[in-house]
Amino acid sequence: MMGVINMAHGEFIMCGAYVTVGLVHGGLPLPLAQLCGVIAAGLVGVLVEMTIVRRFYKRPLDSLLATWGLSLVVTQGMLILVGSSLAGIGTPEGSFKVGEYSFSTYRLVLFGGAIAALAVIYFIFMRTRFGVHARATMQNPQMAQALGVKVGRVYAISFGIGAALAGFCGALYAPTMTLIPTMGATFIVESFVTVVVGGANVLLGTAPAGALLAIIRTSLNAWEGQIIGQIGMLIAVILIIRILPEGVSGFLTRRQR
Amino acid sequence: MAEILQTAQVSKTFGGLAAVSDVDISVNEGEIHCLIGPNGAGKSTLFKLVIGTYLPSGGSISFRGENVTQRRPYERVKRGMSIKMQTPSVFKELPVRQNIHIALQHHIGRAALAREEERLLTLLELAPDATKPAGALSHGQQQWLEIGMALALKPALMLLDEPTAGMSPEETFRTGELIKQLNADGMTMLIVEHDMAFVRQIAQRVTVMHFGKVFARGAIGEILADPRVAEIYLGKTHEH
Amino acid sequence: MFKLLNGPQTLGNGRAFWICFFLVLIIALAYPFFADSYDVGNFAYFLIWVFMALGLCLMWGYGGMLSFGQTFFFGIAGYSYGVLAINLGGGGMTFVALGLAILLAALSALILGYFMIWGRVGGVFFGIVTLSATLVLAFFVGQTAGPEWRVGEARLNGYNGMKGMEPLNIPWFGGESIYFEGSSLYYLAIALILLVYLGLRVLLNSRFGNVIVAIREDPQRAELLGYDVRKYQLITFVIGSALAGLSGALYTSWGQFITPSSIGLPAAAMPIVWVAFSGRGDITATLIGTFLILVAFQTITVHSQQAALILMGAMLLATVMLAPQGFVIGVARSIGRLVKRRGQAPG
Repeated sequence: MMGVINMAHGEFIMCGAYVTVGLVHGGLPLPLAQLCGVIAAGLVGVLVEMTIVRRFYKRPLDSLLATWGLSLVVTQGMLILVGSSLAGIGTPEGSFKVGEYSFSTYRLVLFGGAIAALAVIYFIFMRTRFGVHARATMQNPQMAQALGVKVGRVYAISFGIGAALAGFCGALYAPTMTLIPTMGATFIVESFVTVVVGGANVLLGTAPAGALLAIIRTSLNAWEGQIIGQIGMLIAVILIIRILPEGVSGFLTRRQR
Repeated sequence: MAEILQTAQVSKTFGGLAAVSDVDISVNEGEIHCLIGPNGAGKSTLFKLVIGTYLPSGGSISFRGENVTQRRPYERVKRGMSIKMQTPSVFKELPVRQNIHIALQHHIGRAALAREEERLLTLLELAPDATKPAGALSHGQQQWLEIGMALALKPALMLLDEPTAGMSPEETFRTGELIKQLNADGMTMLIVEHDMAFVRQIAQRVTVMHFGKVFARGAIGEILADPRVAEIYLGKTHEH
Repeated sequence: MFKLLNGPQTLGNGRAFWICFFLVLIIALAYPFFADSYDVGNFAYFLIWVFMALGLCLMWGYGGMLSFGQTFFFGIAGYSYGVLAINLGGGGMTFVALGLAILLAALSALILGYFMIWGRVGGVFFGIVTLSATLVLAFFVGQTAGPEWRVGEARLNGYNGMKGMEPLNIPWFGGESIYFEGSSLYYLAIALILLVYLGLRVLLNSRFGNVIVAIREDPQRAELLGYDVRKYQLITFVIGSALAGLSGALYTSWGQFITPSSIGLPAAAMPIVWVAFSGRGDITATLIGTFLILVAFQTITVHSQQAALILMGAMLLATVMLAPQGFVIGVARSIGRLVKRRGQAPG
C-alpha cells in the first residue's frame, strides 16, 4: 500500500511473541502481557520506519533488500542473545488456564481476536480523521501534503499499525507454539504468496486470496499430508499468476464493471 | 496509391467508456498523414491500438496487406512499423550512441552498423553528445533521439505521437523540416499533433477525431476550410 | 568474437585492466605451489560459489530481474548430482551427473520462468515468487528423512542431508582415477570461472547483452524496437539459474554431501548480499567482490556463524542505504577516474 515491501514483518511477529512470553514469565497476566507485546511491536515499527523504511517509499526492491538485511541482523542477534534454547522455557502452557478445553477455547479466542483486529483496522482507516489522512496520503502524497497533512507522520503511524498487527499476531500465537528466533521466516512465504495472489486491494484481494489458498492448502494437507499441501499451494499460485496477472482483486474489480 | 495501414471499425472501451469507437482510417504509402483532434479525442489510444500495446475491443487492423489485429507489438515492429511515443521514452541510463545502436543492431550487420550510427547521429545533430547518457539530453533532444531510434529500424511506416511536444518554436520548425525531408526520401508517416501551425507545415492528408470517432477527413486544405472542424478544434488553438 | 570481450556493458576495458587480469590469473594458477593443501581446498570452495553470484549478477544487474531463487536451482542441481552420481556409479559417470544436474536446473528455470514471465510477474513479485519456491523446496527436502524418500540407491535423508556420492573424477590410464579434490578441484574451478567469466563478457557486449540492458531500462520501449522481451528475459533467467546449478553440483561434489540448509533462509540471502555489496552492475565487480566477501566470512564464521550472518545483514542494509550501486563498483569507478586524471595531468 505504501510502495514498500517489508521482509522484516516476521520479526515484528517475533517481537510481539517474545515480549508477551517474557512478561508472562515476569509474572504479568497473559492478556496484559499480550497488550504490551502489541504496543512494543508497534513502537519498534515506528522506530524502524523513521530510521530505515522512510527512505525507500516507491522503491519496493530497495526496501525489500534493506528490510531483509534488518531481518537477518535481528534474527541472528536474537539467536546470540537469547539462544535457540529459550524455545522450551518460553511456552507458557501453565500460565494460561482454561481448564480441560484449553485448546479449543483458545482457538476461539484467536478467531475472535482476528475479527476484532480487522474491525479495529477498518474503524481506524474508514472512520477516524487519521484514516482520512492516511488514505489521502496513500493515493496522492503531494496533494495530501499540500492540504496540510503531515505525510511523514502518517507514514510512520501506518507502518507502526502494521507492525502492531504483526505483534498482535505473535502475541496471540505465543502461548500455542514454541518460540524460536527464526519463527518469523515461517510466516513470510504464506503472507507474501497471499499478497501476490491477492493483488493490490486489501479487502477485495488479500482476504479472498487468503481464504482460497487456505482451502487449497488445508484440503491437500488433509488428503496427502503437509508437504504436498505446501507444494500444491505453490503450484496453485504459479498457475494463478499465469491466469490472473492482476491478482484476485484485479479479477474481481474487472467483474464489477 | 497503395494503402499501407488500414483500420476497420476499430474500437476500444475501458470499463464502459468508449475511448475509440468504429474508427476507419487508412494511410497511403508515401504520405504524411496527420491525426488531429482535441484532448481526449482518442488519438493516442488509436496509436496504441495500431502498434499493439492495446488490443482492440472490436474491429481489425491490417498492415501491408496482412491482418495484424492480434499480433504482439514486437511482431508489428518486425513487419515494418515503428513508433515514437508521446512521452519521450529513451533508455535514460544508457549513452546516446548505445540507444541508437540497440535500435540499429536489429537488421544491420556489424560492418555497416558503425557507419549508419554516425549517419543518424549527424542527421539528428546528436554527434557531440553521443557519449552522454540519454537522460542528460534536453527534452527536445530526447524527442529527436527517439525519432532517430524509430528511424533506425528502417520502418515502412513511422508513427509519431506529438513529435514536437515541449519544443521551442524554433525546434518545432526544424523538426518539421526533418520530417519533410524524411518523407521526401520516401518515408510514410502517421503523426498525432496538437500544434496546428506544425500540421500546416507538414501534413498532406488529415483525419480529425472527436469523442473517439472520426469527425472529418480530407486533404489539409479542405480540413482547414471546414467550419465544423474550426468549431471543435481550431477555435481552441487560438487560445495558445 | 574476441572484440566483444570489451564493450559498453563491462567495466575494465583498457590495456591496464587486462594486464592486471593476467597477473591475477598467473597468481591464481601458481597459488597451489606455495600454499598448503588445506588452504587450496578452501579456496576451491570459495570459487564454487562464484558461479551463482555471476548468474545473479547477469539476471539482476543486467537483466533487471531480482531472483531470490539462486539457492533453489543450487539445490536442484546439488541434489540431482548426488542422486545421479550415486545411481550411475562413479568414475567418468560423475561428469555425466554434473551435466545432467545442470540441465535439470536449467529445465526447472525454464518452467518456473515461463510461468512468471508469461504471467507478467515483474519487479518485487518476481523476487517473492522465486523466494517462495525456494523456501518450499527447502521445506520439502527437509521432511524427506524417512526411508521411503529414496531415488534408486540414493536416500535424501531430510535435514541430515544426502551423502555418499563420489566426487567428480575421471578414470585415468593404469586404472587410477583422478579425483577432483583439493588442488585439482581448484584448477577445475579456475578453468570454469575463466570460461564463464569471459563467456559472459562476450555475451553481455553482444547483441544479446544490448537487448537485455535495454529491457532492464524500459521493457516497453524494447518491445517497440522489435524485440520479443519475454523470450530474452526467459533466456537470461535460464542462463543465470543454470550457473547457480553449476555451483550446486560442484558444491555437492566438493563436500560429498548436501543438506536442505543450503537451500532455505538464510542461505538464499547470501547471493543477494554478495552481488548487492559488490555491485550488481558489473560482472568483474561481482567476481572480485564475491570472492573477497567469501574469504572474509570464512574467517568470521570460524568464530561464530551468527556473527557472520549479522554482518551479512548489516552489509545488505548498509549497501542499500549508502551505496546502492555496490561498494566494489564504487571503488572501481574512483580508481578509473584517478587513472584518467593521472593520464591527463602530464599532457
